[in-house]
Amino acid sequence: MSDNLSELLGKKGIGGSLFDKMGKLSREDGGSPSEAQLTALAEEFLVGKANTFGTATFYDFLKPENKGKKVYVCNGSACLCAGTQDTVLESLQQEFKHDEIGHMTCLGRCHENSAFHYQGKNYSGKAIHGLDEIIKSQKNQYQDAYQVRASGAAILTKPFTQIDAYYTPFKKALQASPEAVLEEIKTSNLRGRGGAGFPMGLKLEFCRKAENDTKFVICNADEGDPGAYSDRYLLEARPHSVLFGMLVAGYLVKANYGILYIRAEYPESVTIVQDAIDQLREHGLIGVDIEGSGFNFDIKIIQAQGSYICGEETALINSIEGQRPEVRVRPPYPAQKGLFNKPTVVNNVETLAALHYILEHGGLAWKQIGTEKSSGTKLVSLDSYFNAPGIYEVEMGTPLSTVIYDLGKGFKKEVKALHIGGPLGGIVPLSKIGDLTLDFESFSKEGFLLGHASVVSIPSNFSMMRYIEHLFDFAAYESCGKCFPCRLGTKRGHELTSKALESDYKIDRTLFNDLLSTLEQGSLCAHGGGIPLPIRNALTYFEGELKAYFN
Amino acid sequence: MKKAYIDNQSFEIVDGETILSFIRRNREKQLVPTLCDAPNLDPFGSCRVCSVEVALSEHGPVKTMASCHTPVAEGQYIYTSTESVKALRKNIIELVLTDHPLDCLTCEVNGNCELQTVAAQVGIRNVRYPNGDNHLSKDKDLSHPYMTSDFSKCINCYRCVRACDEVQGQFVLSMAGRGFDSHIVKGIDQSFMDSDCVSCGACAQACPTSAISDVFQSKSIEATEITRTICTYCGVGCNLDVATKNNEILSITAPYDAEVNQGHTCLKGRYAFKFYNHPERLNAPMIKRNGVFEKVSWDEALDYVASKFQYFKEEFGPDSLAGVSSSRCTNEENYLMQKFFRAVIQTNNIDGCARVCHSPTALGMQRTFGTGAATNSIEDLKHTNCIMVIGANPTDAHPVTGAKLKQFAMKSDHVSIVIDPRRTELAKYATYHLALRPGTNVAVLNMMMYYIISEGYVDAQFVDQRTEGYEAFKKEILNIDLDHLEAVSGVNRKLVKEAALAYASAPNAMSFHGLGVTEHSQGTFTVMQIADLALLTGNIGRPGVGVNPLRGQNNVQGSADMGVQPHQGAGYLDITNENVNKKYNEFYGVSVPQHIGYKIPEMFDAALSGKLKALWIIGEDLVQTDPNTQKVIRALEATDLVIVQELFMTETAKYADVIFPGSSFLEKSGTFTNGERRVQAVRQVVPPVEGTRPDGQIIVDMMNKMGYPQPDYTPEGMLEEISQIVPFFAGIRWDRLGKNGLQWPVAEDGTDTKILHTAEFKRGKGYFEYNPWVETKELTAHSKEYPYILTTNRELEHYNCGAMTRRTANEQILSDDYLLIHPEDADAYFIKEGDYVCLESPRGKVDIKARVTDEVKKGVLSTTFHFPEIMINNLTGDVHDSEAMCPEYKVVAVRIRKSKGKYKEVMK
Repeated sequence: MSDNLSELLGKKGIGGSLFDKMGKLSREDGGSPSEAQLTALAEEFLVGKANTFGTATFYDFLKPENKGKKVYVCNGSACLCAGTQDTVLESLQQEFKHDEIGHMTCLGRCHENSAFHYQGKNYSGKAIHGLDEIIKSQKNQYQDAYQVRASGAAILTKPFTQIDAYYTPFKKALQASPEAVLEEIKTSNLRGRGGAGFPMGLKLEFCRKAENDTKFVICNADEGDPGAYSDRYLLEARPHSVLFGMLVAGYLVKANYGILYIRAEYPESVTIVQDAIDQLREHGLIGVDIEGSGFNFDIKIIQAQGSYICGEETALINSIEGQRPEVRVRPPYPAQKGLFNKPTVVNNVETLAALHYILEHGGLAWKQIGTEKSSGTKLVSLDSYFNAPGIYEVEMGTPLSTVIYDLGKGFKKEVKALHIGGPLGGIVPLSKIGDLTLDFESFSKEGFLLGHASVVSIPSNFSMMRYIEHLFDFAAYESCGKCFPCRLGTKRGHELTSKALESDYKIDRTLFNDLLSTLEQGSLCAHGGGIPLPIRNALTYFEGELKAYFN
Repeated sequence: MKKAYIDNQSFEIVDGETILSFIRRNREKQLVPTLCDAPNLDPFGSCRVCSVEVALSEHGPVKTMASCHTPVAEGQYIYTSTESVKALRKNIIELVLTDHPLDCLTCEVNGNCELQTVAAQVGIRNVRYPNGDNHLSKDKDLSHPYMTSDFSKCINCYRCVRACDEVQGQFVLSMAGRGFDSHIVKGIDQSFMDSDCVSCGACAQACPTSAISDVFQSKSIEATEITRTICTYCGVGCNLDVATKNNEILSITAPYDAEVNQGHTCLKGRYAFKFYNHPERLNAPMIKRNGVFEKVSWDEALDYVASKFQYFKEEFGPDSLAGVSSSRCTNEENYLMQKFFRAVIQTNNIDGCARVCHSPTALGMQRTFGTGAATNSIEDLKHTNCIMVIGANPTDAHPVTGAKLKQFAMKSDHVSIVIDPRRTELAKYATYHLALRPGTNVAVLNMMMYYIISEGYVDAQFVDQRTEGYEAFKKEILNIDLDHLEAVSGVNRKLVKEAALAYASAPNAMSFHGLGVTEHSQGTFTVMQIADLALLTGNIGRPGVGVNPLRGQNNVQGSADMGVQPHQGAGYLDITNENVNKKYNEFYGVSVPQHIGYKIPEMFDAALSGKLKALWIIGEDLVQTDPNTQKVIRALEATDLVIVQELFMTETAKYADVIFPGSSFLEKSGTFTNGERRVQAVRQVVPPVEGTRPDGQIIVDMMNKMGYPQPDYTPEGMLEEISQIVPFFAGIRWDRLGKNGLQWPVAEDGTDTKILHTAEFKRGKGYFEYNPWVETKELTAHSKEYPYILTTNRELEHYNCGAMTRRTANEQILSDDYLLIHPEDADAYFIKEGDYVCLESPRGKVDIKARVTDEVKKGVLSTTFHFPEIMINNLTGDVHDSEAMCPEYKVVAVRIRKSKGKYKEVMK
């Protein structure tokens, strides 16, 4: 957002990141850096105290109000729909004071719910019943469990073998011409899995062409979509797939630094990925002059601090810099001017994880999987309403009904709609399942969004108006606040829906429609721009249920 | 020709422009409303009110885009006013109004509020949302003497935050919180007064509502007239828009179309104007009789002085009279003052404050290049890769240029070199800070040139084609004693080398220097070295390079241009030259003497030896600001007739025999020439305070009283006269100055000059001259008994003697001189922050409060002389530049002790 701040904060390089320092201070100092620490940081980086304060106050886990929080309850959509969190909260309240309990939005335990976070670890399922023990021993006896299955080709879910063997395609790439490797990726037509579906080869090419001595590769591991835990799966179960992708991307764009931006809500991911990075170092696969190729590359984890918007790539870049993670205008695109104003490629975890297959088998092999425009496989996360919750790897173009009924084995309880693709994804009524195949085009054509392909089930007895209110609440809470439509619109949307739920207030349809259009057309990024989609879906498919709230 | 379409009408596009600028360039400015856009800020894209619809074919499928940050592309069909975008804009504004007080009629910006204008434009009639959360009960911040905030009016457009960042580079403001809770904070949620705000007012000017404003309510529409004029403070020469009503000044803002300051200025220019009608203004001529000033009529005062002058001239000769002109005054007034002494009194005893500031610059650059003025313009910062700032603290002393330099230094691909004993604000951002011991500029610069030559970084072609004296110079430089110079300067030679090579290898490098260069015993030599560095590396004669002195006073460039110096007349012509003398004699119609007159320090000596009988001083507080205060006082006391022409009863005015009450820049017209040779129009804003006269008119009156016919003072008339005698003013006419003035030399047809020495130097070839470093006599004579070095500096809030700024609310922001002292030195004397320190030099002693800081090195102390209560110049001495006689304010041998507790108060 601020060129000057990007420059000043970049002077110490990624190793001395302001944001990283703030995170450490916060963890060491009870949940929020002190004013004295913020002042000292401002002096160290030659920025304003307002800047360090402004940054700290943005994040759930840095803001002054977070001081003294000891335990956090998940308030993501899946846990909300599952209705488990009131019980969790009651249990926690017996052990903790009201002020000591905070919220985290989606711990990625959508497959078993009852999720909470305590002292750097996540718990879910039955764990809440063993709270005493957890507090005493701090040992996690309650490892969560979910299905992992590929319906066709197992690519992303393919078991990891051994590090040397696994990295062979990368070593080969180091010997090959980077142009040829890039061509394979372009041939594969791999599209970004973060939601926007931008062709990865083109992104890499733009960044490769940008002239600069310093470039960065960022892995966006800020999987904030409530209901999604496929990135968590990859980070924790297939960390080398992700690191492999970063190495290749770094090599192709001529970057020397890779940054994994992992959300604070996934503490286990941080530990596991760090172990994997250490292994790479031991094997000489990161560092200086890797395998004698002259390619220098290092990878660093930056732990996020609680903000959904950081999943938006420019907000994420601002976040890593230590600026307020507000969305930047585009152009310039990150590939031209990204982290610390240097060319940067930002890719989602799952996109990076796909590179191994493409390097091993060639771009065409990937291209031949899936549909014409949506190639390859996609991970889908199914929540606890399914009989078989878990992560499923399916080929693009697979009928949605196959995913729901064959893989997920249908629902445990009666469900009326599926919220697919995160909070900004569409609300798919059960009646539409048969019309959809799992790929970008089919979802888009039917007025939905594939997004990150997370599936949250909305039970039949859950008020759709309550769900809309929840979406507005989430959107307003997580809005960065930069653009007028989103900052004000999501808030007013939340107020209108709350008022309609809590009183006999009827929402004016024209006003509501104007609000949704303003958000869609006017918002700076997909956060404000995307939230109307599920709400419009709900209005279309659940008119009967919702009409009571409107006049 | 690349084209795009606005509402189906085609226009040519300019590469890199946004859709908004494309529309505004071709259609009316208000066609597309905006809120977060501002003329001097980068596109930001927060308000989205500028949204338009864009199609790739006529009436093709459209996409809504924010025009302010979307680049225009060939073949785009841009629709500015479809029903859909009109609805979008209206709906956004409706949302804004759900969190904005609807008290327009009582709001200070009523009628000049951008939100109000846009709301009216988009046709808002009502807000349909039910009452919800809002920020309407936010408290006002009235803590600061100038800045105010009322964040209930804030629309979160970030313009203030961006102005503080992109214009001033201060980072006082930020958004805090997120989403609907995001709100502007100052520092860590502080008040303006407690924050690090430098009161530049950029935020207030940027704010589209009254969320941030100032005590002068500068955005209200109460004023009936706006007059564009030039700031009276420093040599940057900011353009100011002064708002008045009934001949009273209400407020000042900075015009965006000013080439010098682009909508920016500092707290002096913008806010420190209330001195102009301060009750302490001198408002009648006065004659001191029996030690008491008596108010007299103008006629009586002028007759009294004229007859005395006549008497001294006849009895003791013309050289028994002398004048000190003022760099605060206009070119026309300075011209008149030197003309008075040369043509009416017939002496060359005329000097000005340049003597005590940039006389070595004028002399040194004349010796090396032939012209004693900045070679380039400040806008060249856009074209440079490297800046070298020597002996200057521009963020305090030249705030608008300082802010630009700071903006430059913050960028990681720019090189910035600061050579200064103090860790100035700029030094903190610099790539290299060479923190040398005061008095060793020549040592460090010679080391730099050693490395440039020995490492093969010389621009041989430039040196060969455009310079002379290089071989001899090179021989001397390569013989310098690096060990010795490294030891005396205290700067590691590696650092010197790196900085030197960075300067030499930059495609374009600019140097800037200030009084830390000139106010030394080797001031002129240092200037010549800076010029030599430019010659050596070929950094002369194109955009983004050059030698650029940061001139101190608003018109110090102009006063020298006009001939306010004893050895050169108007236009820098050598008065000892026969032909020049003839020219002046013919032009003035009298015989002008051909011998050089007194420089200011020589005037004091002449007074003390009884040779000087009368001294006429305009707008210069010699007692407070010239070195060795007690000697200055003795000299004034020894002079039979001292006339002080002033705004206030300054320390100097107290020693006057006659007082002429002059008028401020706001009360008269004329021109000031800024540090980049830009002659700009100063336009009268209000009539002179009753009883005072414009300084130029006072001089004209004196001329006429003494029998020399001179028409009444008008800028038009004076410029007509000046253009006939000052060669580089040949084409300058009052009506040609326009909004942004002209940079001299100005040819007869009015063509001006942004960059000097493009093809050849004024003197033909650039001249290399080696001068070895020599320790100042101040230290060789006194450093045993007085082991500390005191240097002097300036503070942002005050100007020079402070006669003006101390009579404004700036005094509430900074109300004292204080002493910077290193923590170890402070410890050694048990001095704590706020303790009084007794400073003693061979000339005298003063007590001053300590500020303990590592901004100064051990053994070095620094302070200001803005306050007469301290009178730091009791300490400074008579050592001066060997060539130009500029006093050595920057190196004073002192000793310190904790004061005996005469004033035991703790600093705020």
